[in-house]
Formats: sequence, C-alpha cells, structure tokens
Amino acid sequence: MKVMPENAAIGQLRQALPDKRSSTALMALLGVGVVAGTAAIIYVLSVGHLHAYNLTREVPWGILISTYVFFVVSSTGLCLVYSLGHVFGIKKFEIIGKRAILLAILTLLVGFGTIAMELNHPFRMIIWVMLNPNLASPIWWMGTLYGIYLVLLCVEFYALMKHKHKLAATIGLLGFIAAVTAHSNLGAVFGLLEARPFWHGSFLPIYFILSAMVSGGALLAMIIYLNNTFRGRKIPADERNFMQSLGKLQALLLGILIFFVVWKIIPGLYGSPPGKFEATMAMLTGPLSVNFWLFEVLIGLAIPFAILINKRTRTAFGVMLAGVLSTVGIFFMRYDLVVAGQLVPMRVDKAENASPLLQYVPSPAEITIVIGAICLCVLLYVFAERKLDLKGMQEA
Amino acid sequence: MKVKRFAMVLDSNKCIDCKACTVACKVENNVPVEEGNYRNWVSEGALRGKFPDLGQSFQPGQCMQCANTPCDHVCPTGATWVNKDGIVLVDDHKCIGCKYCMTACPYNARYYNETTGAVDKCTFCVQRIYKGRQPACVETCPTKVRVFGDLNDPESEVSKLLVKHAYRVEKPEMGTDPFLFYLI
Repeated sequence: MKVMPENAAIGQLRQALPDKRSSTALMALLGVGVVAGTAAIIYVLSVGHLHAYNLTREVPWGILISTYVFFVVSSTGLCLVYSLGHVFGIKKFEIIGKRAILLAILTLLVGFGTIAMELNHPFRMIIWVMLNPNLASPIWWMGTLYGIYLVLLCVEFYALMKHKHKLAATIGLLGFIAAVTAHSNLGAVFGLLEARPFWHGSFLPIYFILSAMVSGGALLAMIIYLNNTFRGRKIPADERNFMQSLGKLQALLLGILIFFVVWKIIPGLYGSPPGKFEATMAMLTGPLSVNFWLFEVLIGLAIPFAILINKRTRTAFGVMLAGVLSTVGIFFMRYDLVVAGQLVPMRVDKAENASPLLQYVPSPAEITIVIGAICLCVLLYVFAERKLDLKGMQEA
Repeated sequence: MKVKRFAMVLDSNKCIDCKACTVACKVENNVPVEEGNYRNWVSEGALRGKFPDLGQSFQPGQCMQCANTPCDHVCPTGATWVNKDGIVLVDDHKCIGCKYCMTACPYNARYYNETTGAVDKCTFCVQRIYKGRQPACVETCPTKVRVFGDLNDPESEVSKLLVKHAYRVEKPEMGTDPFLFYLI
C-alpha cells in the first residue's frame, strides 16, 4: 500500500518507525519500564510500605491511588464511548468496538494492580470483602461493582471476537449500566467523606462520569491514529470519518469539563469555606499550582480544546494530539484531586505548624511503579494488536 | 447487667504538656517507634499575649469513640467495629490496609501499624478497663486532666462532671457524636 504522508512530522515519524520493527522497538522500551516497575515492587515488598512510600497518617493516599483512579476512569470512558456505537446506535462509533473493550479490560486490570500495591493486604481483601462485607462502605461497592464490570467487559470482548452480535448488544447495555454505576460510586468513595470538605458532596460522582468520557475519547483517538501510523499505512476512510466525529464530541466534552472545573473552583473560594478553601488554594497558588495551571488547565484543557474547536486543526492528527494532551492533563487532574483533598490537616497544632498545609511528594518507588503500570498497559495493548484481529465491523 | 457507655471527660486547663500520656500509651499498647505512630496526642494552642505576659493552652486528645462513627461506616471488610460499650475497635486480621478509615476520621486519630499489619487507634485500653483498671493515659497523668468512666451510670465521676460543668466536643459540625468531652 502506498503511504501518503499527512504532514511532514508524521511522514518523518513513519519513516523513522516503519511497520513491525517499530512496534518491536516500542515493546522493548515498554519492557524496560515494566522491568523497572517490577523491581520497585520487589523493593516495596522487601522493605515495606512505610519505608518505600512517602505516605503518612495525614496523607495516606498517594499517587498509586490517583493512578488507579486514572486507569479505571479510562476504562469506564472507553466503555461509555464504545456504548455510543453498540448501545446507542451511532453507526460511526461501531468500528472501535474490539479495541475499546480490549483497552477497557487492560486499563481496569492494570488499575487493580496499581491499587493492590497501595493496599497493605490485597489478598486479605479478597477473603474479607466476601466473608464480612460492609454494605455501607463505598470501597466495598467499588470492588464489587468493578468486579461485575470486569466480567461484563470480558464477555463483551468474547462476543465481539466471535461475532455474536445479539449477545454483544445485551451485554453492552449491561456493561454501560455497570460502568456508570461503578464509576459514579468511585466518585462517592471520595464524595461521601464529610471529613474532607474538598471532596464531600455529589459533585465528584457526576464529574467522574463526564471526565471518564473525555478520557475514553482521548485514548480512542490515540489508538486509532497510532495503530495506523505504526502499521505504516494511511488511515482508512471510515476511521478518518470516525476521528472527525470523535473530535467534535471531544470538543463538546472538553467544553463541559472546563465548565465543571470552573464550578469546582468557585465554591472553594467564595466566602473562604473552611477546609475547601485551603485545598482549592493549594491547587491555585500552592504546592499543586504547577500541576494545575500547566498540566490540567493548559495541556489538559485549553490546548486540546483550541485544537478541536477549530475546523482546520481538527484533522485526524489534531484529534490524536488533543487526545495525548488531555490524557496527560487528566492524569494530573486525578493526582491533584486525590492529594489536594488530604493536604488540609484534620488537627492543627498552632504552635508548631507554621504552614497550614501538609506535604506529599511521591517517592521514587511510587513513581517507578506508576511508570511500570503505564508501560505494562501499553505493552499488553501493543501485543494484543499484533496477535488478535481487532478490526472493526466495517473494516473487516 | 446494664450496658455501659464508656466516655472520657477532659479538663484541658489542667494540662501542662508533659506528654506523659503519650509515652504511657505507647508503652502500654506497643506502638511502634516511628514518626506519626501514636494513639493519643497533646495539641499546642497558639501563644497568647506579648512577653512577659504570655499564655498558652494545651489540649490532649485521642480517638473520640464517636457514636456516629465515620471510620466504621467506610471500612469495606468490617475490620473497624463498635463494641456494645461504645468503644471503636479494629480487628487486625480483617484490616486490608486501604486506609479509608484514616481519610474518613475528622480527628486524625488513626495510623497504620506496620508491626500488627493493621490500622491502629485508641481503644480506651480495653486490655485494662475490663479488668477494672484505668486507661494508661488516665492513670499516668500527673494533673488528672482525663477522667474515664461509664456515662450510663449516673453515679460515675464522668456523669457527675458533665452534670456539674458545661462542656464541648471537637468538631460537632461533623455530626460524629464524640464521647470525649472537654470541660469549658
């Protein structure tokens, strides 16, 4: 097939990374990340969480929790965007079926792995959530609902691979319901904590669903585009058509997400409400301000929104680039959300604490595990692209 | 026998910040020596006035043994539970180390104990009180800041103190219904 470079940059990328060798090189690089992550896990298991992680009694949830949230948000988002085609009947979105569901499974599994490294006793959990369940606990529901969601995703993937369309339609609807339920409940894990004013309330469950859709769309833009690039071929017409529609959808969703971010900030400032105000200021001017302004606002929201709102830049490449940027932004969004909620101390020792905020910076082990998890997820996906037939309905 | 409701009444004005209570607690309850590991504490208030007319207050605290217990609500495996006498306890072998209870507690009363492999907190020294002894922090306090007892017994010292004196609880706006009472 003749390669038609869309623009010079992509043309160079294609030349530099042709076909199968390119994905072998990528897999080797990802493999290095996975090995580093595994080494960090062995280190954590040998010295214990206390010495390997920078977590304290005041800030017990760190980057492993926020990365877990990032992964499961991605999984939910992939499932929701997938549902647009297979549940809500938007034809253009049907071509992403297998890829969306496969990546939803992988992100969910890697997310589980990440939170398992944050839990002190992941195996004890499996036993006691069944033997002594606390139905009042949002974390109990989180495990249960995501468990059901995982099973549904696996059945859905099987149905798609075996072309069992009736089964796929039924399970797709159930999967959509499970995704919304599980994911809004994840928002409630934070939102039901009255002790944490920055998290408390009904905002987070709703916000999690919306931002999941942004995550899912962003990841789909990346995999559709890069899959063609790495195979050294032009994007097929139907996929280009899909990217166009996805770009418009992403522009709308990012616009709504900007609205959500603004209305998260304003009630945190207005009248300086105790607890909420300090956490909000930690993001605006405090220790999280670079994350917020540079990564969340500029890279995650403003630039991708500007790319997608403009018809001239809303090309397949533009939609992919916006996807990469908003995925990076959303990773930081999760981190800032989880950390900011804990930076306000529950008990202030006025004589000793000059600063009204607590501190948290991830340890090298925490960061390495996160890198390993991301590499593992991409590696498994690239491997699956090589081994499985993931072409969409119309592509086949 | 009538059900008990254990509580503690504290007169912070008597506290001299000697921290004997925190030491006694660590020894009695085998709290591992690491930063951030403690079941009870003494908060230092801001310095008042200008030299040489200065004043400062101290406030001891520990798990408030809340009646409306956020840590108990959120624990996925029921490792945290409340006994019939109102004491909030943790079953070490059921704790999965998710630390949800630590984020749910508005008093920062909990820490993760690497030795027991579970979240740890004040239990009013259950190992002592059911043998008729006082909690370690109460027993050791040189100025008798803390008084421990059964609020369901009108003749107990805690009941009488709360009749005689006005009192307050920490963060009443959280609706946790704490059972540590501070005399005003």
